Amino acid sequence: MSALTFTLKTALQQRLDLSALTPDQLAGKSRADIAAIQLPYGRKQLRVDEVFDLHGEDTANIVFANSAAKLDYIGSKMKSGTITVNGDTGAYLGFQMGGGELAVHGNVDAYAASGMSGGLIHIFGNAGDFLAAAIPGDRKGMKGGTVIVTGNAGDRVGDQMRRGTLLIEGNVGSYCASRMLAGTIGVLGTVGEYVGYGMRRGTLLLTSKPAMHATLQDCGAHTLPYLSLMFKSFGELPSKFAKIDKNRVQRYAGDVANDGKGEILVLQ
Amino acid sequence: MLIKLTGGTVYDPAHGIDGKVMDIYIRDGRIVDRPRDGERIDQDHNLAGKVVMAGAIDMHTHIGGGKVNIARTLLPEDHRADPVMHTEHCRAGCGHVAPSTLTTGYRYAEMGYTAGFEPAVLPINARQAHLEMGDTPIIDKGGYAMLGSDDLLLRMMAANKDQNAINDYVAWTLHASQAIGIKVVNAGGINAFKFNQRMLDLDEKNAYYQVTPRDVLQRLSRAVHELGIPHPLHVHGNNLGVPGNVETTLNTIAGVDGYPLHLTHIQFHSYGTEGDRKFSSAAARIAEAINKNKHISADVGQILFGQTVTASGDNMAQFRNHAAGSPNKWVCMDIECDAGCGVVPFKYKDQNFVNALQWAIGLEIFLLVDDPWRIFLTTDHPNGAPFTSYPHLIRLLTDKTFRNDMLSSISPDAQKLSTLASIDREYSLYEIAIMTRAGAAKLVGLHDRGHLGVGAAADITVYSDHADREKMFSKPDYVFKDGELVVRNGSVVKVTWGTTHVVRPEFDRSIEKEIAKYFETYHTVNMEHVKVTDQQIADDGRGHVQVHECKGRREKTA
Repeated sequence: MSALTFTLKTALQQRLDLSALTPDQLAGKSRADIAAIQLPYGRKQLRVDEVFDLHGEDTANIVFANSAAKLDYIGSKMKSGTITVNGDTGAYLGFQMGGGELAVHGNVDAYAASGMSGGLIHIFGNAGDFLAAAIPGDRKGMKGGTVIVTGNAGDRVGDQMRRGTLLIEGNVGSYCASRMLAGTIGVLGTVGEYVGYGMRRGTLLLTSKPAMHATLQDCGAHTLPYLSLMFKSFGELPSKFAKIDKNRVQRYAGDVANDGKGEILVLQ
Repeated sequence: MLIKLTGGTVYDPAHGIDGKVMDIYIRDGRIVDRPRDGERIDQDHNLAGKVVMAGAIDMHTHIGGGKVNIARTLLPEDHRADPVMHTEHCRAGCGHVAPSTLTTGYRYAEMGYTAGFEPAVLPINARQAHLEMGDTPIIDKGGYAMLGSDDLLLRMMAANKDQNAINDYVAWTLHASQAIGIKVVNAGGINAFKFNQRMLDLDEKNAYYQVTPRDVLQRLSRAVHELGIPHPLHVHGNNLGVPGNVETTLNTIAGVDGYPLHLTHIQFHSYGTEGDRKFSSAAARIAEAINKNKHISADVGQILFGQTVTASGDNMAQFRNHAAGSPNKWVCMDIECDAGCGVVPFKYKDQNFVNALQWAIGLEIFLLVDDPWRIFLTTDHPNGAPFTSYPHLIRLLTDKTFRNDMLSSISPDAQKLSTLASIDREYSLYEIAIMTRAGAAKLVGLHDRGHLGVGAAADITVYSDHADREKMFSKPDYVFKDGELVVRNGSVVKVTWGTTHVVRPEFDRSIEKEIAKYFETYHTVNMEHVKVTDQQIADDGRGHVQVHECKGRREKTA
């Protein structure tokens, strides 16, 4: 069976909510049923076949082709199967995702992986602001699973993140790991100002010393054997992090203005 | 425009009509006499076999004011999980337990309700409440102004001011906040909370003012009575939710010198301390007291299982209960030193002993109070359950088999402590019409609503008679609001804007001198800025104010 492919055929004026198009929700549905699904589009709703050409039948493997930055909520609440996106996506990619795999060959907008609790998201392009952060009103961002970003990410990455692993190979904007509650963030490139602002717990792994605000404290150089184990555990992941073999770091604790149990580790 | 509703089976308890087939005529938004022969009828609806009642009135529902907005802010997940799309007639909205204003109005109308009364309008926050209610389409609305924990009243009582001064202050408050009644929440308790008291029983003194809740209730119930306000003092009692609070409630009933009282969400105030877990139903004692004391009325505040949010002025009770909140987040706050507010999300579970027994206690009270004119159908929206569960509640009251089926599925320990299974009573449609229409209109003091007599506003709901009352009451065939067809087959077909009902008892304006001075000295705003004007409610013609008469204003009674 070939993957169920949605090819975007029109230029969109409004944002389109694709939360209905996940493997779990489409399982067992006929082509006609899927074509008739109504997708929220501004103050209206559009039928799937008004917006997409459909090919293939395997609902466990979904492909969005010719994707554009106005497609929101791709893979929202998905629990199983795979979704592959060719092109850019809008906001809330993998929102509250619980399992399965989601790959985007393009850039994604804000709040990707927000509320995610399991599964794998691989973004081959750049991620927007608030990657793995809590949406306004929520108290926790990402809560589990793994996110790999091959490109760069925006501001407030990992804001209120609670659990899980976020691996970014490019650069990250300001307020990285702000108000972070727990979990692991790794950044191979540079980070902007106010890194770890209000960070409560959790680990931020960097490769060069960032600009530090006053309430991050230098705790000296350490050899942390568990880092070797951690990098080994990344072995299966398609990421540069899997190839790191270091466990000597400069450790900074913070944000001491907010409990201070978070750590920023800079690889030496 | 003359509309004829032909051949419906009419239930109009205000006129003693119990299931009589008759025609109703509507002209210019009012119910009129049979017109002369040959007069042109513009619209004729054949209602043969349908049930016709006045539009339902929810006499206690939190649909406006600060706390609802706090609940909305606190629960974004509630809004995300229940989006409502824009339709041809309605604008988009969201929210299950704390819906947006527009959605609230549509949903009430789609259930056949044509009026709802916000029971906790803080005078200082009245503008916010009226703005929200003004943004609630179709239904009529009104508010009960909250007094009893405000410093000015307690200050006046501590100074042992004459009852006339209290009456004037109460009347001034009704004018300023455009309200139709007076509510007291945990009399004096919200204030005592600020002086670090965490419990306040009926005869316990406020640590600072040395005033007891009983004093407050006596003063205010007397003021309401003497001013001739139709709606009796609306009382949210002390010790809400505390096991054993039945004694407080019975004392409240006995202790106000015979002035009329309306005890709201009485289910939360009917708990005993029997049994292994020191929590039991005292519904029988409460019902007996209500049956015996004709000056007492009550609404139930039934809980129904599922997620909801409790929003109350009673920050003492909310602070006490915050640990039980689910999801785990809560707000308790002071509002301009006028009163307080507590919002705690809550999930009632049928296998939880306490929740299950609360459920049973509410139903026991419904079924054991004999007089449907003095007991009202509420869930204290959203505290016991969102108002959209009323049809389910009506089925529980009208269908014994269904009720017993539900009872057998709840926590077995709670079942053992409840007498619900032994109660055979089933509410009739006539009694439902009393509770939700005629009785509610009478209680609130709406002379032209809740009935289908000539001269009444044409707020009319038409249902298909269905053995499953939940189905029947959740989807009326037609709803007319002021003579206009607003709902057909359970969907809004036209959006209108209802009236705001108020009372304006006479009073001695010289009290403003004292009030102005108080505001000048202690408040952040000037007294004049607190007053809500008719123009503000009229909002460019979208709303308007209807003043109801305060009949029988009495001179000082003692």
